[in-house]
Amino acid sequence: MSLVPIEQTVYARWLDRGTRIGLWLLIAAFAAYALGLVPAHVELARLPQVWQLPADRYQALTGAPTGWGWLGLLHKGDYLNLLAVSLLSLTTVVCYLRILPIHLRRGERLIAAMILAQVLVLLAAASGALAGGH
Amino acid sequence: MRRSSLVVLALLYAAPALAADGSGAPWWIWPIALFVLSLALGAVAVVGGVGGGVLFVPIVGGFFPFHLDFVRGAGLLLALCGALAAGPSLLRNGMASLRLGMPLALVGSTAAIGGALISFALPTETLQVALGGTIVAIAFLMMRHTPAARPGELQPDALAAALGMHGVYRDPASGRDFPWAARRTPTGLAIFAVIGALAGMFGLGAGWANVAALNLLMGMPLKLSVGTSGFVLSVVDTSAAWIYLNRGAVLPLLVAPSIIGVMLGARIGVRVLRNVSAQAVRRLVVILLLVAGLRALLKGLGVWP
Repeated sequence: MSLVPIEQTVYARWLDRGTRIGLWLLIAAFAAYALGLVPAHVELARLPQVWQLPADRYQALTGAPTGWGWLGLLHKGDYLNLLAVSLLSLTTVVCYLRILPIHLRRGERLIAAMILAQVLVLLAAASGALAGGH
Repeated sequence: MRRSSLVVLALLYAAPALAADGSGAPWWIWPIALFVLSLALGAVAVVGGVGGGVLFVPIVGGFFPFHLDFVRGAGLLLALCGALAAGPSLLRNGMASLRLGMPLALVGSTAAIGGALISFALPTETLQVALGGTIVAIAFLMMRHTPAARPGELQPDALAAALGMHGVYRDPASGRDFPWAARRTPTGLAIFAVIGALAGMFGLGAGWANVAALNLLMGMPLKLSVGTSGFVLSVVDTSAAWIYLNRGAVLPLLVAPSIIGVMLGARIGVRVLRNVSAQAVRRLVVILLLVAGLRALLKGLGVWP
């Protein structure tokens, strides 16, 4: 008999899917970006002049967007990579939401509340509201 | 091993000059160099029992031309991807416990956001010095930390009982069942808050500290500690990663080659380094941490720019 709780198996299944999709997308996006198949917002040859700058000065000099502004630049190779990174970073939220009904059905309110709190923390971080602007 | 350590140290010593001269080098040299370094770090990290992030950030931050903001962002994502990739099999096999990890991850991820936000408010030199001090401290902790293979108390404390932080773990190697129960949970939560803040601040990942806190402080079996540490790391680093993403501190040219390199390196490490003494590799990791930590300290203080 398996000692692994069902919610853990479900979490693992969704984590596996999300991670595979995210990592393959990252490899494909990086190949398209580095090989010049998709144009970049900041030209690759220009990067050595700006990559030693702090992130805020890099943004100011290159016109890179803050927060979720990069969603409008998905046709650019560098920001296509960020889509893959975002997918990987969203995987945990999806996994937590997937196991929430299992705990609710069992009446495990404290654990369900903890899951909700965790989702809220991750969504707050993702929202960009905490990161502030420049 | 001693000779290879000397070669690594010599290469690291020469790297800052190469990086400074590298401003005129074509851009593609650097992702290739990052890939090769990450491949080696991935292999060494697996055998040395640390995540790639704790080696990646001080070494790349000290010896490559990229700003520390981007290096920390890449280090965080590298640790995150490693934890995400290992997570499914660890959870499926019962080598990690959601029940044990969820409260710790909640505290750690909240603190990681704070750590990341503080880091962007600090001057780069201050951050370099703090990073150097932290890395040197980690090296000393690694020298002293002797894992406890046997679990501790089998009765959970009051908080652990309320949070359901107890269960039975089946060791896949022996097939034996080990009941476990968390102890010193309030202190454990506080420690995980500190670890989370450091992970968010320096982009280090946190495997180096998670395992020690779970195993030595909270009395968890060693293998369950290692597996659950990966789960906690995947949540903690996710929250900090969003702050870095939103602050524009994620440079794809650093991130992708490093992640691919470390993940391939980890696979190679498991196969190729099977016959190498884990203790010798751990010693190499400590040496690398000391050199990279001192380099970060001296760079931050302006002594070795």
